[in-house]
Amino acid sequence: MNILKFLKEKKTLIAFDNEQVINKAKISKKNNHLNFEKENDYFVFIENYNLTEKLVFEVNKGLNLRIYLITYQSKNLEIEYEFNIEENASLELYTNFNTRRNNKFNLKLNFNLDENASLKLMSALIFNGNLSLSTNINLNGKKSSAEVEVLNIGYKDTKFNIDQFVRHLNKSTVSNINNSLIATDKSKLKYSVSGFIAKGNELSKAHQSNKGIMLSDSCEIEVEPKLFIDEYNVEASHGAAIGQMDEMQLYYLLSRGLTEQQARSLIIFGYTNPFISMIEDKDIKRLLTSQITRVMKGKADNE
Amino acid sequence: MILEIKDLYVSIEDNLILKGLNLKVNGGETHAIMGPNGTGKSTLAQICMGHPSYKIESGDILLDGESIIDKTVDERSRLGLFLAMQNPIEVPGVTNFDFVKAAVQTRMSKDEHLRIGKFILKFEKASQDLKMGQGLAHRFLNQGFSGGEKKRNEILQMKMLNPCFAFLDEIDSGLDVDALKLVGQNVTELKSNDLGLILITHYQRLLDYITPDFVHIMINGKIVKTGKDELIKRIDQEGYDWVKKELGIEDEDIKPYSLGVCPSKH
Repeated sequence: MNILKFLKEKKTLIAFDNEQVINKAKISKKNNHLNFEKENDYFVFIENYNLTEKLVFEVNKGLNLRIYLITYQSKNLEIEYEFNIEENASLELYTNFNTRRNNKFNLKLNFNLDENASLKLMSALIFNGNLSLSTNINLNGKKSSAEVEVLNIGYKDTKFNIDQFVRHLNKSTVSNINNSLIATDKSKLKYSVSGFIAKGNELSKAHQSNKGIMLSDSCEIEVEPKLFIDEYNVEASHGAAIGQMDEMQLYYLLSRGLTEQQARSLIIFGYTNPFISMIEDKDIKRLLTSQITRVMKGKADNE
Repeated sequence: MILEIKDLYVSIEDNLILKGLNLKVNGGETHAIMGPNGTGKSTLAQICMGHPSYKIESGDILLDGESIIDKTVDERSRLGLFLAMQNPIEVPGVTNFDFVKAAVQTRMSKDEHLRIGKFILKFEKASQDLKMGQGLAHRFLNQGFSGGEKKRNEILQMKMLNPCFAFLDEIDSGLDVDALKLVGQNVTELKSNDLGLILITHYQRLLDYITPDFVHIMINGKIVKTGKDELIKRIDQEGYDWVKKELGIEDEDIKPYSLGVCPSKH
């Protein structure tokens, strides 16, 4: 297993592939169930794990957890992760999926939240490959809430098909989705973002915001924000702002002496920076920053 | 230094806005440009800065005798021009600090290095002078700023960048009385022989705090009258009709042009 160097030093690491499990975090693992019983920041590294069943993360009642989930795949694989967040528990989950080759990656992320449980999901999608990602969030319990932050950079001939679905299945549930998308080269990013509030689930709130910037003539970003609401007493909004670099922003920065290349870089940085600054662990932050720097090198040049 | 605008004709979308404008500003001088709406005051500021939507039909803009009309926007900025904009643009995700730092660094030679400690102290001092409050450095550029904060942030940038010639385009709009006084004081403190100021305004109130050496009245795309304090007082009392009457100027039907829309808030 090629575990990233900085991860090896983490005391709360759990890493596995099909042959080996390293469980420094001493998480109880039965078959495909990881049972988190202690509050901590955990680092989960998974490499080429060919799951026949879904991998389940159990966040026990009342716990506040932070999990950094790094997945490396160099084969065409399908993976399903499930997170069960029990009553009054909170999970802050950072996911970074990566591939070492240009291959197909089918991924499902399912979340089930009990009463008063909360989820903050931060997904970094920065690799060249063919990804189908389905994120399903079930707000089962009253007052459960989910915040989803995605930073997706498409480059070369990346093809990403992303489905996000939040189901509000109880009263006073809250969801907030923010997708920040950058497309360059010939990449294609396709998003379907859906919020569903079932009848009787009053005082629920469902918000979606999608912003995208296209840096080449050959790239594509397609976003379909959708809300399915069967209850009157709710708050909901959705929107998508996709386009090329804002000329007025560019002019403003140029008028202060920044060169066009610097100004474009800074505007792009404005897309990535808010996401990076949300990450607490400095090593993970550094990993993400280096990923972004690597793929964005030269991409700020005017085409 | 000298900024000289010579017989300038400028159009946007085939509509002529500036029609033979002449203006000479020496370093250390403060010029106020007043005039009715749609007369080309902001166009003058934007064309000097190099806004790509405007087209120079004829005439020239000279900085110390050298034409700058072929210079790019950023080159003009680095040569010492500054424009405090009427509607400062929001740039989400980019902090004020990172932006101003980058702008300061562009003015440094390759051998120079930014002394970050000194820079932070200067930024904090400018921020305090303009009562921008703590945390300004980490706020995203103009995002979520009130109208007054945006205007004060323009002056903060001016203080940090030390321009040779600064256009302040309706810096007084959106400011309450106290903020106007504060901006006026800060701009006045910046006055020196190395700074030429061009104030674009509709009202006397800004000029109560920043005393101009010259007052120009601009109508129909050119400067039609130049004077001193007495012009400000008369405009405040009587508007511009008397100027038109005195000079036999007839109103033109000029429609305002949009330069685009502000980016949506995210």
